Amino acid sequence: MHHPRSIPLEELQAGQRARISRIAGHPDHVHRLEEFGLRGGTRIEMFRPGNPCILRVGGNKVCLRANELLEVQVLLLPPGD
Amino acid sequence: MVAQDTSTSRVALIGNPNTGKSTLFGALVGVHQHVANYPGVTVEKKTGWMTCGGRRCEVIDLPGLYSLAARSRDEMVAVDVLLGRQDGVGPPDAVVAIVDACNLQRNFYLLSQVLEMGLPMVLAVNMSDLAAGRGIVLDLKGLAERLGVGVVALQANRGVGVPEVKTALDEAIRRGPLRPPELWPAAFEQEVTRLERTLAVGSAKPQAAQAAGAKPQAAQAALPRYLVRRLLLDTDGYVQRALLPDADGRVVRELQVGRERLAEAGCPAPAVETAARYDWAQRVLEGVLTEPGRYRLTATDRIDRWLTHRLWGTLVFALVMFLVFQAVFVGAQPAKWGIDWATGRLAGRLADTMPEGALRSLLAEGIVGGVGSVVAFLPQILILFFFIAVLEDCGYMARAAYLMDRLMSRVGLSGRSFIPMLSSFACAVPGIMAARVIANERDRLTTIAVMPLLTCSARLPIYALLIAAFIPGTSWLGGLVGLQGLTLAALYALGIVAAVAAALVLKRTILRGRTPPFLLELPSYKWPSARTACHRVTERGWIFLRDAGTLILAVAVLVWAAAYYPHDHRAVEPLLGQQEDLRVRLAGLGPQDPRRQEGMEEMARLQNQIAAAYQRNSYLGRLGRTIEPVVKPLGWDWRIGCCVLASLPAREIVVATLGVVYGVGQDAKGQPAEAAGRLQSRLRAARWEGTDRPVFTLPVALSLLVFYTLCMQCAATLAVMRRETNSWRWPIFVFSYMTALAYVAALGTYQVSNVLGTLRVP
Repeated sequence: MHHPRSIPLEELQAGQRARISRIAGHPDHVHRLEEFGLRGGTRIEMFRPGNPCILRVGGNKVCLRANELLEVQVLLLPPGD
Repeated sequence: MVAQDTSTSRVALIGNPNTGKSTLFGALVGVHQHVANYPGVTVEKKTGWMTCGGRRCEVIDLPGLYSLAARSRDEMVAVDVLLGRQDGVGPPDAVVAIVDACNLQRNFYLLSQVLEMGLPMVLAVNMSDLAAGRGIVLDLKGLAERLGVGVVALQANRGVGVPEVKTALDEAIRRGPLRPPELWPAAFEQEVTRLERTLAVGSAKPQAAQAAGAKPQAAQAALPRYLVRRLLLDTDGYVQRALLPDADGRVVRELQVGRERLAEAGCPAPAVETAARYDWAQRVLEGVLTEPGRYRLTATDRIDRWLTHRLWGTLVFALVMFLVFQAVFVGAQPAKWGIDWATGRLAGRLADTMPEGALRSLLAEGIVGGVGSVVAFLPQILILFFFIAVLEDCGYMARAAYLMDRLMSRVGLSGRSFIPMLSSFACAVPGIMAARVIANERDRLTTIAVMPLLTCSARLPIYALLIAAFIPGTSWLGGLVGLQGLTLAALYALGIVAAVAAALVLKRTILRGRTPPFLLELPSYKWPSARTACHRVTERGWIFLRDAGTLILAVAVLVWAAAYYPHDHRAVEPLLGQQEDLRVRLAGLGPQDPRRQEGMEEMARLQNQIAAAYQRNSYLGRLGRTIEPVVKPLGWDWRIGCCVLASLPAREIVVATLGVVYGVGQDAKGQPAEAAGRLQSRLRAARWEGTDRPVFTLPVALSLLVFYTLCMQCAATLAVMRRETNSWRWPIFVFSYMTALAYVAALGTYQVSNVLGTLRVP
C-alpha cells in the first residue's frame, strides 16, 4: 500500500487510519461536517464501522450518520504512519 | 440592580458543547442562577451574577455551539446576544470563550467567529491537564500574543484558573474592543459590501412604513456586517427568512447573483467560510501548538470498546434503562401514595370543618384535587430528571444515542430522540422537556408530537380497573400467559405502533425536509457531579410547577365548576327528604343497635345518589347528554361521555369520576383494594337508563381502553408542550390529532368486536 488510494469512508475497517480526501454532497451538509471538524485533510481512525459510525479524530471521538447524498472519501494511511 | 450602572457589566460565556462551559458558569456565579427562555424562542437563557475586579457582572451562559452561523434558533440567539440585538440592552461588555485544549483546531472555528464581533474577550483553555496527559503542548503566552487577548489555563471541574479568568476579564473590559482578525478573501468582502449597499436601498421603504405607525425596531436599522456575511453564506435560506422575512424579489435575486459571482471568483459559499477560518486557525496555532504524532487509546476508548459494542453495549444499555425505570417505580410510588393520602386528608378536613356549599366544594374538589394532580406528577418527573442529568453529565447519553440511532433512523428520527421517548413511558412531561437535546428542529417537534401516544404511568389505573373488571382471567401454559396480561401488553404495543406511525406520517408531511447528517460528539467519560444533577432537578421541577402547574389548576377548577353548577336543589328534593328521615331515624338508634350498621350503609348510598343526581343536572351532565349521539357509536352511554369529559385535565381522574357516576363514591375510609373491587362490581351492574341492558360489555370496555391509550387527556403535557414549542399551535394540533385518532380507533374497536361477538354467540 505505497500509493494511498481514495476509498469511501464506509469501507474503512475498525482500527484503520486514514485522511479525509473529499466530502461531497449538499453544500449545507458538507458545511456542517466541516464546522464539526471533519474536512479535507483531517486524520481519522475508524473506531466502530457502520452507519452510524464512530471515528477517532485527534484524541476525541465523534459519531456520524451520513445521509444518502453525502459522500466522504478517505485516503488510507499505512499502519506504521 | 444593586450597584450603580457604571460599575455593572454584562459578560457572555460561549464555547463548543462538552467544553466544560456550564461548569465554568457554575464556578463563576455559584448557585444563584436564573433560568428562563429568551423572549419569543424556546432557547434557554441562563444568567447569574458575579463580582469581578470590584464590579458586579451579569454572566450570560449562551447555548453550546459549534458555529455562530445563525442557522438555527440556538445560533441565532447567540448571535443576537453578542451583537446586542437581544432585549435591547446592547452587546455584552466582554466575552469569555472557552475551548477544549484537546481539540483546539475545531474550537478555534467558533473562536474566529466570536473574534469577528470585536468584543473584549478572554480565552479560557479548559482541560489543560487532560491535554498535557495526551502529549499536547500549548504555548499559552505565544497564543495570547498572537490573538491579542488574555489566555487562561483552566480546569473548570476543579476550580483551577477561575480567579484568573475573572482578573483577565476585568483587564479585557478596561482595554476595550478588539480588532477583528483579517480572514476573508478580498473577493468575498467586496461582495459583502455590495450586498450592504443593496440592502441600504431596500430599507428606505420600510422607514416610511415606520413613520406611518409601524413599531420602530432595531431590525429596521442597517444589519451588522456580520449578519450580511451570514446572508451570503447561508445557502439554505434560514438566515434570510429570519432576518428579512419580507425581502422583495430584488434582494433574493441579488443574493443569488452574488453567490454565483463568488463561485466564479473561487470562493463559493459556504465553503469559503470553513476554508478561511481553518486557515486562520492553522496560522494562529502554527508553532504554538504541538500535537503528538499519534493519539494513544485513552481510558474512555477502552470503556467504549464495551459500551458501544453492538451486543454488550446494547445489553448494558438495556440494563441501565431497566434500573432507571425500576428506580422511578420504586421511588415515585410511595411518594405518589403519600401525596394522594395527604390531599385526601386535606379534602376530608375541609369537608369536616367548613359548612356545605360552593366554597367548600371548590376548595376540597377543585383546588385540592387540582393541586394534587399537579404534585402527583412531581416525584416521577424529579427522579427521571435526576437520571437524565446524571447520564448526560457522565457522558453516557451520547453512547445511548449512538446505540439507538440505527433503530430511530428507520422512523426518520435520530438516536437523540430515544431517551426522551423512553421517559414518556413513565411520564410525557420530562420527555418533552428532555427533547431539547435534539438539535434538529424537525426531529424535536416530531418527537414531542408523538411522545404522548406512548403509554405513561397515568394510564395504568384505568387499564387496571377495566381489564380486571371485563377481560376474562383465562390463562394458558399453567398460568404463565394470561389474557389480562396479554391485553395490557397489546395496549402498550398499540401506543408504540401509533407513535411510530405518527412519526412516519409527520416526517413525510408537515415536518418534511432534507435530513442533515447526524453528528454527535462522544465526550470523555467523567464522574457525574451530584451538585450538577441536583441543580438540574430542582431547576426542572420548579419550571414544571411554575409553568404547567398554573394551567393544570385552572383547568381543574373549570371542570369542577362544570360538574358543580348550577347545583339545582329541586332535582334532588325527594332524595334530600329521604336523607333527613334517615338521619332522624339514625339519631334515635343506640350506638350498639344492630340496625345502625344497615342505616349507615343506606345513608352512604343516598349520599351517592344525591351526588349523582347533582352531577346529572350539572353543566357537565347536560353536556354529556348532549354529546351522547357522538359517543353512542363507541358503545358509551352519556355517563361514560361525562366521565371522559371530566378527565380532560388528567386522564386518571376518570377512575374517580366513574366511581361517583356509577354510585360507589369516593369513600376515603375504605381499603383501596376493597374500593376497587366494589367499583368493578358496580360497573358490571350498571345498566342503560330505563333498560336492563348492561352498559359495560366487553366491546365497550375494549373501546374505552383503546380510547384512553390514544387520547391526549393531560393538561400537564399540553402546558409543557406549549412552553417547549413556544406556541399554542403544537398543543392544539397534538390534542386534535390524538383525540381524532382515539375516537376513530375506539369506534373501530367497538364495532368490530361487537360483530365478532355476535358471530361467536349465535
